[in-house]
Amino acid sequence: MSAWRVVAAKELRETLRDRRTLLMMVVIPVLLYPVLLIVMEQLLLFGQRNLEAEPAPVAVVGQSAPALIEILEREDGLRLVEIGEDPEAAVRADSVGAVALLGEEEPGDGTRPVTLLYDAASDRSNRARGELTAALRAWGDSALGDRLDARGLPRTFAEPVAIADSSIARPDEVGGYALGRILPLLLVVITLLGAFYPAIDLAAGEKERGTLETLLTAPVPPRAVVAGKFVTVALIGVIAAGLNLGSMILTFQTGALQLTAAIGLEVSLPWSAVLAIFVTLVPLAVLFGAVFLGIAVGASSFKEAQNALTPVYMVVLVPAMLPAFPGIDFGPGLALTPVAGVAFFFRDLMTGEADAALGALVLVSTTLYALAALAFAARAFGNERVLFGGGEAEVDARAVGPLAWLRARRGALGVPSSSAVLLFVSFVAVAFFWVGIRLQVSLGESGLLAAEWLLLLTPAVAFVVFGGFDPVRTLSLRRPTRTGVAGGMILIAGAMPLVWVLGWLQTFVLPVPWEMLEGLEQLVTADSAGRLAWLLLLLAVTPALCEEAVFRGVLLGGTGEAEPWRRVVLNGVVFGLFHLSFETVIRFLPAATLGMVIAWAVLRTGSIWVGVLMHFLNNGAIVVLASTPGVREYFSDPEAPPPLWLVPVAAVLVWAGARVLQRPAAAAGADTSNSSHDP
Amino acid sequence: MIRFSSLTKRYGPLTAVRELSLEVRPGEVYALLGPNGAGKTTALRCLATLLHPSAGTASVAGVDVTADPVGARRNLAFLAASMGLYERLSARELITYFGRLHGMDEARLSGRVDDLVDLFGIRGFADRLCGRLSTGQRQRVSLARALVHDPPALILDEPTLGLDILSGRTIYDFIARERAAGKAILFSTHQMEEVDLLADRVGVLGGGVLVAEGTAEQLMQRTGAPNLARAFLALVAGAADR
Repeated sequence: MSAWRVVAAKELRETLRDRRTLLMMVVIPVLLYPVLLIVMEQLLLFGQRNLEAEPAPVAVVGQSAPALIEILEREDGLRLVEIGEDPEAAVRADSVGAVALLGEEEPGDGTRPVTLLYDAASDRSNRARGELTAALRAWGDSALGDRLDARGLPRTFAEPVAIADSSIARPDEVGGYALGRILPLLLVVITLLGAFYPAIDLAAGEKERGTLETLLTAPVPPRAVVAGKFVTVALIGVIAAGLNLGSMILTFQTGALQLTAAIGLEVSLPWSAVLAIFVTLVPLAVLFGAVFLGIAVGASSFKEAQNALTPVYMVVLVPAMLPAFPGIDFGPGLALTPVAGVAFFFRDLMTGEADAALGALVLVSTTLYALAALAFAARAFGNERVLFGGGEAEVDARAVGPLAWLRARRGALGVPSSSAVLLFVSFVAVAFFWVGIRLQVSLGESGLLAAEWLLLLTPAVAFVVFGGFDPVRTLSLRRPTRTGVAGGMILIAGAMPLVWVLGWLQTFVLPVPWEMLEGLEQLVTADSAGRLAWLLLLLAVTPALCEEAVFRGVLLGGTGEAEPWRRVVLNGVVFGLFHLSFETVIRFLPAATLGMVIAWAVLRTGSIWVGVLMHFLNNGAIVVLASTPGVREYFSDPEAPPPLWLVPVAAVLVWAGARVLQRPAAAAGADTSNSSHDP
Repeated sequence: MIRFSSLTKRYGPLTAVRELSLEVRPGEVYALLGPNGAGKTTALRCLATLLHPSAGTASVAGVDVTADPVGARRNLAFLAASMGLYERLSARELITYFGRLHGMDEARLSGRVDDLVDLFGIRGFADRLCGRLSTGQRQRVSLARALVHDPPALILDEPTLGLDILSGRTIYDFIARERAAGKAILFSTHQMEEVDLLADRVGVLGGGVLVAEGTAEQLMQRTGAPNLARAFLALVAGAADR
């Protein structure tokens, strides 16, 4: 038997002995959803019957209307009650469901105003309103009939057009339509849940139990281990989804739900559609299995893997929910969108409107995504840093006191762990958002200065000092080499125009927030030498020091367990998010790109000072350009296209800067890189 | 049989093991001594092909661990302190699983599993799930698992960590028996009595560097210490001073 089959057979056997997986794979799909649906329906019907069991109490206040009273007394579903002088209090006290406040009839054949007083937040009151409205309509119809009779006109005189609905949809088509709104999401979620726990157990669980080391010393290549594990995870996902699909269809088709029958819904999916759904579930389960395995293997424990995968779960839910929204047409764009394509194809299969070409596109694209995810998982399993944490995972178990939590997250290198750092950055972002904005509103530009120094730099320094972390390693406080400085300057000189082009390109898809941009322009424009110096301090020197300490310092230093490219991307994304505002997302992409460029330079040079310099040059250039008459007008229009010649020049500068930074001489402290240290 | 040739392992800027060279011959027990974080586990993981050396190399039974990691694994058994058992497999299933991973054919494997079950006294609980075994029972299963493919080299990373005296005894007996069978055995430890009892030769790691090597007597002579524990402290302190 080939190695991957040996691994798969063992994993499947072990997984099927796990109660938690069985619960997710069999009990929830097969029993829980149908039982929940039936119970919910019964509760709904019970409540409805309960409400209708008694006549709704109603009252009439105001001008007398004997004909109305007569109708109300005749209606079985109504009970006319007397109320006091305050109708609103009576409705609030629930002594009456709805009250008709009758106004005075206009002279001649005028209109009598009637106000219906009811409580929209009460089921009883809503029902009473419905009954009372029907009675009032009957009264109105009767009064209209009397007027027409008095003039010798036929009753049809007041009804020149008679409208009747006639849907061409058969009951089974309506059933498919209703099913197509709910079932795709459920199927995606069940497939995801089916793969979720086995993936964690087979990757992070194996690390936590200490069996991964043993497994990887067997003469089996990592790809065979991944293949075996992944086949198990995908198979369980497919089984869970298949069982759920069968269970849901049986629940609807056997008439277990009374409500569907009562409203004329028929659910009868053709077997060809069921088969197509099942076939599409396979690559979806493969995709989930591979993504989850690849992520979970980077976690050191079951709990950590759960934390890492929960955001993925949430992200997957969004495209899976799209078919429930009206007005979204399924086209090639959506077919190529991971998860969304599958969910929309399911919807169309259920409504009987599936397009074979789009279905093929969904199948092929999902299979390709699944293969890419599989390659990612295989790479993660072959990466010793992912498997064994790069020797930096040991913690200082001697830490005690209130800082024990923080210090317990100090790796052997004396840098904080990624969890501690992400928590810190979240805290700083929230504090900057709530307190920083208030400071800016109340103190203006001085408030911005205070916010940067007090809410960014100070917490970053406090975090390193009180956390007991190595400041040099955490904040990359190494003296840069000349090569590193030169490389950083060339790189930022090229990156600035490219970011400008990027900002211009995104104006084609994102609305330009003119008011905000005008405010920004005013802020960065100096009209005197003194003002220019102040703006350079406020907008160039201060962010270069304070923001770099948080992002290229603590955040970059504390994510050292991850691969470099992940650190750079994460750094840019968090930096971009930090620059988001309520009004627009237009600053995200340029800020994130700059963040990534600077993070890469700091990583290459090992010195935060290169990042500080690059950040200063970028912001300082904006202030100087905005303060230069003649240039200012050109730069202040985000929709104005940048000169085309700038793109190749910038690209050459970026390339040259990157080449310089890749030279060994660019790395600060290269002479200390061989220092011996306890792993 | 086991050979390290100027093996260096770096994690980014830190060097965990520096230019380690040593050899363990067939039928020899070699103890790797060192304080916490001296680089013992890193060295053993490089040998077990779990980590890639940054420089230099290591080999098992003449197979280079970097050039042919799968081939090297066929010739070694790695036993970590965690024991690494699958909780939802029975002892017999677990040993069989690793036999299959080593490519053993079913007929040979079945006989080998029966032999190991008897050798380690597992028969009474061979069909019980590993998650329900006592520490001592788990340890015996773990040893049987390591030996299923009968490798010529054994790598044991702190094999008695967290074990009581009786369970530790099982390990000692195991090492003595495998040495007599001509296996090359490399183990890491902090326990001086283990070294006294089992090791033919000792290597002392300090700060990732092999600071001394020889028999226990040679190390005591070299440092002028009355026992191995004192000799070890003197050697490690000397390494720290350097």
